[in-house]
Amino acid sequence: MFPGARCHALRVRLAGAVHPEALTAPAQSRVWVDDVPARSTEPVAERRRAAEMSRAVTGLRCTVLRYRDGLADLVLVADRGFLDAAGLRAVAASLTGADPVEPAGTEVAAAAEAATAAAAGTEVGAVAAAGVPDWAAAPDPVDAGAVELALLLDEAGDAESWRTALAITLVRYDAVDSPGWAIIGTDQGAVRVTPGAAAEPTVEPTGEPAVAGLLVSDVDFGTDEYRPCLAPPLPLTFSVWRTGDTVRLRCDHQAGRISPAQVEQFTRHLAHVHRQVRENPDVAPDKVELLDAAERERVAALGRPDRALSTTPTRIDAAFRAVAARTPDLVALTDGEVRLTYRELDERSDAVAGGLRALGVSDGDRVGVCLERTAELVVTLLGVLKAGAAYVPADPAYPTERLAYTAQDADLRLVVTRLPEFPGTSSTVPVTPDEVIAAGAEPFTSTMTPDDAAYVIYTSGSTGRPKGVVVPHRNVIALMDATRAEYRLGSSDVWTLFHSSAFDFSVWEIWGCLLTGGRLVVVPYFVSREPEKFRDLLVAERVTVLSQTPSAFAQLVDVPHDDLAVRLVVLGGEPLDARVLLPWFDVRPESGCRVVNMFGITETTVHVTHQTVTRRHALAGSRSVGPALPGWHLYVVDPDGRLLPPGVPGEIWVGGAGVASGYLERDDLTAQRFTEDPVAPGRVYHSGDLGRLRPDGALEHLGRIDSQVKVRGFRIELDEIRAVLLEDPDVRTAAVVVRRDDPHDAATARIDAYVVLADGAAGETSSSVRKRAADILPDYMVPSTVTALDALPLTTNGKLDATKLPPPVTTTAKPAATPTGNDDLAAKLSEVWGAVLGVPVGLDDDFFELGGNSLFAVRIGARMREGGLPPLQLRELYRNPTIRSVVTALRNGDN
Amino acid sequence: MRLTGKVVVITGAARGIGRASAVACAAEGADLVLLDVCADLAGVPYPLGSASQLEHTASLCRDRGASVLTAKADVRDTTSVRDAVGLAGDRYGRIDVVVNNAGIAAPSGKRVHEITEDEWSLMLDVDLSGAWRVIREVGKTMSDQRSGSIVNIASTAGLVGYRHFAGYVAAKHGLIGLTKAAALDYAPMKVRVNAVCPGNVRDTPEAEGRMLREIARALDVPADEHVAAFTQSQPMNRLVEPDDVAGAVVFLASDDSAQVTGSVLTVDGGFTAH
Repeated sequence: MFPGARCHALRVRLAGAVHPEALTAPAQSRVWVDDVPARSTEPVAERRRAAEMSRAVTGLRCTVLRYRDGLADLVLVADRGFLDAAGLRAVAASLTGADPVEPAGTEVAAAAEAATAAAAGTEVGAVAAAGVPDWAAAPDPVDAGAVELALLLDEAGDAESWRTALAITLVRYDAVDSPGWAIIGTDQGAVRVTPGAAAEPTVEPTGEPAVAGLLVSDVDFGTDEYRPCLAPPLPLTFSVWRTGDTVRLRCDHQAGRISPAQVEQFTRHLAHVHRQVRENPDVAPDKVELLDAAERERVAALGRPDRALSTTPTRIDAAFRAVAARTPDLVALTDGEVRLTYRELDERSDAVAGGLRALGVSDGDRVGVCLERTAELVVTLLGVLKAGAAYVPADPAYPTERLAYTAQDADLRLVVTRLPEFPGTSSTVPVTPDEVIAAGAEPFTSTMTPDDAAYVIYTSGSTGRPKGVVVPHRNVIALMDATRAEYRLGSSDVWTLFHSSAFDFSVWEIWGCLLTGGRLVVVPYFVSREPEKFRDLLVAERVTVLSQTPSAFAQLVDVPHDDLAVRLVVLGGEPLDARVLLPWFDVRPESGCRVVNMFGITETTVHVTHQTVTRRHALAGSRSVGPALPGWHLYVVDPDGRLLPPGVPGEIWVGGAGVASGYLERDDLTAQRFTEDPVAPGRVYHSGDLGRLRPDGALEHLGRIDSQVKVRGFRIELDEIRAVLLEDPDVRTAAVVVRRDDPHDAATARIDAYVVLADGAAGETSSSVRKRAADILPDYMVPSTVTALDALPLTTNGKLDATKLPPPVTTTAKPAATPTGNDDLAAKLSEVWGAVLGVPVGLDDDFFELGGNSLFAVRIGARMREGGLPPLQLRELYRNPTIRSVVTALRNGDN
Repeated sequence: MRLTGKVVVITGAARGIGRASAVACAAEGADLVLLDVCADLAGVPYPLGSASQLEHTASLCRDRGASVLTAKADVRDTTSVRDAVGLAGDRYGRIDVVVNNAGIAAPSGKRVHEITEDEWSLMLDVDLSGAWRVIREVGKTMSDQRSGSIVNIASTAGLVGYRHFAGYVAAKHGLIGLTKAAALDYAPMKVRVNAVCPGNVRDTPEAEGRMLREIARALDVPADEHVAAFTQSQPMNRLVEPDDVAGAVVFLASDDSAQVTGSVLTVDGGFTAH
């Protein structure tokens, strides 16, 4: 620890002439006198004082700074273990004659003795520093710094009230999965503080690392300047002391990726929480308010984009007719040899609408559409809308059960499909597109409104059965009005229809194109699965607007793509690791092609936020998904639905123009997930996604809340592991999953990684990838296995399909290396390890490669004790992870 | 400011490059421990730095906001060096930078076989062993701190030969050797050691240096003639200023040179580029 972390300092202004000779410093230390060639008010003098106040010492140092205007400062710096705040003040009083009676010398001598004794042993109050939490993280490293607040005298409190307040604030800032307690470092060591737990002891000593330290002094320093620590011993070190009629609350933060603005915010909230603790010392942490009304308003405003949305609600079919009327002869749709102009598309979809009405479809009905990606699909979808119905897409590639479920849940009476047998209910009538048109009828114009449903798309989510999301026309219109100008979408654009109609990314592709007058190129399924073929199509059709999931885009980037005409790439559907874009930017600089990452949710109409991604983002591995689209807005809330301060991770709630009507026939779930907007009129959707709102209004998306996993007590960020794997130049793509061999034993939780190695990575093995990752990641985040694959399995929506990942390649023990009976210690160890790890263990098998982890290590230690074997410390096992090396270490007495 | 919070110890700080370096470090926010022998030495044919000159350097540094401690120290004397370094530790609690600048230019002006035992010993004792004694005293402190920068003021005479300056040339070549060896010793402890090789530095009234004058005298040529000849031999066609050398010292002292160690930085207007 930097010695300054153990020191505090006091500056006393000396009145009148100073005769340092007359000052006798205690404890044999001398008084240093420095003449400063400046008046006491000049910046140079200020700098000198600051420098003297930050100069560490082992013991005590007394310095007098004499200024040209006859004034002087006495600066005392001492080790806090050597001299506490009261002692420091006593020495100052004695030196300046303010309190000549005070026998400071004796006190100091006693303190010096105590400090010497302490120094002989272990360092008093040494607390390990924990990693900086997400809420305090800054994108770039900063220098150490501090914020200081002046509080009213009646907010002084005491060590206990501040400890409680700090613990509560930390717990509340750890909003998503706080264990309900916080570790706080003090000069006496770390304590675990459980606020609001009345019946049990709430403060207990612990050896766990702390991110926050607390130094509280009840000494009144009057007009003197006091620095409780010269350097923060912990990443965030809070201190409280009195100066006359104010109380100072200060937070010193260490250098590193710590955001000073976030530190300032936290400190402000700490003071606010402390006031509430003073009023009610037993206040439960979740009853405390972090934000006051004004700040809540400010935070709510932060989640709103700068630009307002200008939109005129209309129906998709009406908006399409307007475009078709303007540019009837432009090509609207290309599908291989098939080319339809806007007029033709308008006429054909009219025919479909008429046919559907003739087949009995009426206003507000739901019509199933289960067609391959073809021009016919687009014609049919538009026809359904024109018929005054809502379309319910189903992908013909889906399993029979899924199709049946959709038909039943959506109560589909008519499904347009070319499947020979559609597995619907008894009341489901499958018809082919030809049959629809053949049903013939007069052209039909719907009288339905923009508030009626345009489509129902089923989302599976991570739990429960799929549910139909009902999205009205006006939402899709709003989405286009929110993006048309920003992305200059117009009739010269050529879009792809790459995605399944059952995936709402297709809503963006189809209507984004057709409502802005562009040409939509249908990408057949087999082409969408082969990057080279897809690339050829993009080149041949001169596609300008490309929408992709990051997984699919990474495959496209892998093939030569110099000749593309793409000017806009919209990424969505899954989290983006921006680093995969670097090779893309190398070929197509940002000036020629804009790459936009959009975070979206089916329940809020495809997209929510947008972030233009540049090399800067890619290099930084930025997780920003940008601000909300005009008309959309965001809140980040705690589990009780309270707005969280900027920077603090919590659940993302989305409000505004994109919020869907709800889940089809699922009133309970709809009521649960779609609630009243806490701030503005309207409703919000509870996304279940974890995010944090940055102070600039951009959202950082941190994954699904329910997929936050813990392995051996540590919160694991799978994305973070994946990001580290991707930093390996030989790794092209990567996926990381957590598995348990025994679902009932948490110790068997294991991180498995899968990588696709780059072509040139000859001789590269998955174990060298793992080794490299182990150099960067903390032990508990290093994947137990790394398996190389030719390609990662993708779902029909182009997202990673974790269920199709093969079992990992694990190391198995080599029987040949099993110790022989004449080596007793090794044999016993082998038995113990084998019993704990559940595999036979040879002399040179690596503990970690056999799935060992810290929990297993503790179990091994316990069994070795039981078996009367010599004690094995954890760190020794980490240093010597094989039986042979452990035996050697134990024999040499290294342990 | 590049040296804020750093404590810099400079030997031979009364005048010349020592003074210029001290002032430059002060302007970059350093606090200073300024050492000088403050006495004439038997065998050196010209007056060395005085206590008054050292105090003047300190005063210039204080004007720039530095806290300054001055002490008399003879780099030939282990106890003297140890006391001075100890004082610096007591006052400031740390030593971040040492500038080994103390050195003498004469007795010189002889061919190798004409140099006496005493002349040879004196030259090596001050110009080479002096730096080693200071490093010996601060090496432990810096290693414990896991940080530190040692800057040895060598000379182009540490890189090439000069006629009639065998002792000086040998000592400065030795100092560069010491620099490289010490750099390797301390690299694991994050302590850096580098050398600066000034060319012909002008004797300025502000710095009160007298190197060039003494070299001319040792060679028995008029000072202005010597200056003219040297100026011509420097590709940049002017003599090196003390501040030019101080700039190199500040760079090597600061974290800007965090990965620079064992290096030899010439400040000679291109003289040794030939």
